[in-house]
Amino acid sequence: MAAHIEKPSDPGWAWAAYEPDALRPWNLAQAGHLYRRAAFGAGWDQLQRALADGPQRTLDNLLSPHADTEAFNLAHDDYEASAGSVDELRAWWLRRMIQTPHPLMEKMTLFWHSHFATDGAAVKGVRLMQQHVRLLRGQALGSFERLLEGISRDPAVLLWLGADANRKALPGENFARPLMETFTMGPGHGTEKDIQEASRAFTGWFVLRGELRFIPREHDGNIKRILGREGNFTSDDVVRIVLEQPATSERLVRKLYRWLICETEEPDAILIAPLVESFAKDYSVSRLVETMLRSNLFFSSAAYCRRIKCPVEFALGIVKGLEGMVSTTRLAHDLAGLGQNLYHPPTVKGWTGGRHWINSATMVGRYNLASALLQGSGPYADELSPPGVAQKHGRSTFESVARFLVGLFLQDDLDSNVYDTLLKTAQTADGAGNDDPAGLLRRFAHAVITLPEFHLA
Amino acid sequence: MSCTRRDFLKTTVGTSTLLSFAPAAPDFLIRAAVAAAPRRDERDTVLVMIQLSGGNDGLNAAVPYGDDEYGRNRPTLALPPKDVHKINSLVGFHPRMGAFMRLYKAGYLSIVQGVGSPNSDRSHDGAMRIWHTGDPDQPHRQTGWLGRAADSIWRANRAETSAVFVGPIAQPLGVNAENVIVPSIRSPRELMANRMPGDANGESLWKHAAELPRANQGNPLLDFLQRCTVRACADARRIEAATNAAQYPPFQLAGTLHTVAQLIRSDIGVRIFFTELGGGGIGGFDNHANQLGNHCALLHQLSESVAAFIDDLEREKLLDRVLVMTFSEFGRTVSENGRRGTDHGAAAPVFLAGGRLKGGLVGAHPSLTDLDGGALKFHTDFRRVYATVLDRWLGFESPVVLDRQFEPLDILNV
Repeated sequence: MAAHIEKPSDPGWAWAAYEPDALRPWNLAQAGHLYRRAAFGAGWDQLQRALADGPQRTLDNLLSPHADTEAFNLAHDDYEASAGSVDELRAWWLRRMIQTPHPLMEKMTLFWHSHFATDGAAVKGVRLMQQHVRLLRGQALGSFERLLEGISRDPAVLLWLGADANRKALPGENFARPLMETFTMGPGHGTEKDIQEASRAFTGWFVLRGELRFIPREHDGNIKRILGREGNFTSDDVVRIVLEQPATSERLVRKLYRWLICETEEPDAILIAPLVESFAKDYSVSRLVETMLRSNLFFSSAAYCRRIKCPVEFALGIVKGLEGMVSTTRLAHDLAGLGQNLYHPPTVKGWTGGRHWINSATMVGRYNLASALLQGSGPYADELSPPGVAQKHGRSTFESVARFLVGLFLQDDLDSNVYDTLLKTAQTADGAGNDDPAGLLRRFAHAVITLPEFHLA
Repeated sequence: MSCTRRDFLKTTVGTSTLLSFAPAAPDFLIRAAVAAAPRRDERDTVLVMIQLSGGNDGLNAAVPYGDDEYGRNRPTLALPPKDVHKINSLVGFHPRMGAFMRLYKAGYLSIVQGVGSPNSDRSHDGAMRIWHTGDPDQPHRQTGWLGRAADSIWRANRAETSAVFVGPIAQPLGVNAENVIVPSIRSPRELMANRMPGDANGESLWKHAAELPRANQGNPLLDFLQRCTVRACADARRIEAATNAAQYPPFQLAGTLHTVAQLIRSDIGVRIFFTELGGGGIGGFDNHANQLGNHCALLHQLSESVAAFIDDLEREKLLDRVLVMTFSEFGRTVSENGRRGTDHGAAAPVFLAGGRLKGGLVGAHPSLTDLDGGALKFHTDFRRVYATVLDRWLGFESPVVLDRQFEPLDILNV
């Protein structure tokens, strides 16, 4: 990365579309970076195609693929409809992430899953959880306004928050508080009084036997004062008022910045101001995501490898790279062990992530998951084969396969000293001394994906 | 502090070896080695929680055999005074809790009597939620008190795993944290590195490749991940090296505590262990009918398992660092219910075991006649026990976890 010509604190430069040039060329590392953030990693062909296509066409395809995403998703919705448990839903979702023609949509669905974090164990309804994630997917790259409206009427969310019986006589804060403090403006932008008044606007809404119901006589139709506004507001009015607050747009932009660009540093208000202003106009998620992904800042050293992969990104990066399909029932279980139990975020605030993903136990857990995925037997069977994939792409000698794997998983962005050490160790140590070359290559691949570098997104 | 511990550190992963290379080693490595070395100024006390799922009948565990009301209320369930292990003229242990009696006499066991919660709840879920969240005022609170404790000691540059759930059931809410990841394990193997088939290098290559310096490295996250990898590898080896031949009885809980003992011995920095007896769901201690035999077996399992654990720790000179605490969602009704069982109650005793206890009975036994809906009234808010454990034992700040300061109990020699 050519840090000297970057101007990451200048919004004009930062959000202008990236155009490759001699100093900031489009290369394998940039393509890998894009596929880590806008998808769940890439196979060799995807990386090569991206190199040939250049950033614009690659991004066009990631933002709106030619393939029939709708048909794919409808088919998967049908599979999910037969799921008898939330555990099965978890497995179907991972399968969707791996096979979808529109990975960015799933990536953003995962983002919203952590934003409107709803725990399936508390909801106790497979169908409700299926509907919930379907709602997230439907607006994943759509309108945050539509999404928030949907969330305020979503039985799963209301049940999870204990906001399924909003009586006139007993207005509870269980939805109004997270709506204002977690889903939109963030803490400190409304008073306790604002939350109490907003709670009154939500009276009348109930979830009865899994169905949303409005009971007019339980609604408090009197005047409320919310965030400086006064009127006989309803729940829809509250959603509208909250969306009018500049803090809402800023908070969402910051959160998406952390998800797509960089989690090590909070952006200056000046840097994100143009995005905040633009997002507040119509809450178009796709435009915001597109601006971020196409930007100079995204392809700068301020963003490159400035995130730690969540467990899903870690595992799917391996699966996508090796062009395979593994048991996602098993994978969902193992990812839960690493701290990311899909459909069961820890709290309504979602997964904090970042450095919190990592501790000595989860690090060993990632090492062991990598072993299980690559060893060619056991719970994941022989679905992923580093030597097989290398051969498919025309590599056969040990050194050429090794070089290929480092290109595939790290886009060659590895200190040469570390590379040489891995290579030397792999060639000299062959366990019992009678090892086959395929075993050697599997171990080399394992050594690559357990490097500190591979945990960076 | 035991010297075994320091000896152990020297002999296993070689903190000393690493430090001896200090001039050549990169910064992050030296920091990692220093972080791994025991520090005098920092506490290394460990809490082991044992959840008794289903509602333990405290009256038949710490038995008020000397109170006539006890026998009167329990025509079939009352334990014969001659069989009770007598602590004093009023209270004694269940006949099958001989091991607890032995620990009690040695000063390794305390009973805090009459512990409970305001806003008590007689449903399993509701009452367990209260004990897990430590917050009777917010029934929808989503974090556990020990999850918040783990969050409260997290530091951005450290890689320790500060809390672990050990057991075969789903992770209890008690350790649910907003930020940190609390692993759930069944055996120590899950925290050791699982090598690829035929791999002769295994973790040594993993560690070596992580600690090699990188040219032009300016990414703080990579530095962090390098350190964490080195640390994880060291921890995994310590766990592997910390096996011992201690004999434990063939109970599920004993196996769990055997795992906990190994992890304590490995000295990897875990401060909180959460374990469980009773199976988590229905069953376990929830004996609405024919309670006697089932309850007896569970108490025997509890008593023998904890005693084996305490004995193991004592032999390894680690007992001074460990405090065991039991809890259950509620006690049970004073009267039996006509089906040779008892129903959901309220106050109950909490058992504490460890090497730094003042010992004895803490607090009076609650009255068997002044009841609340047929159950004992509590006189000690359970959060006072939590505050004691957080402030005085772990050295954390209990108001951060419990939202306000509860008065700790004077039960520890620290």
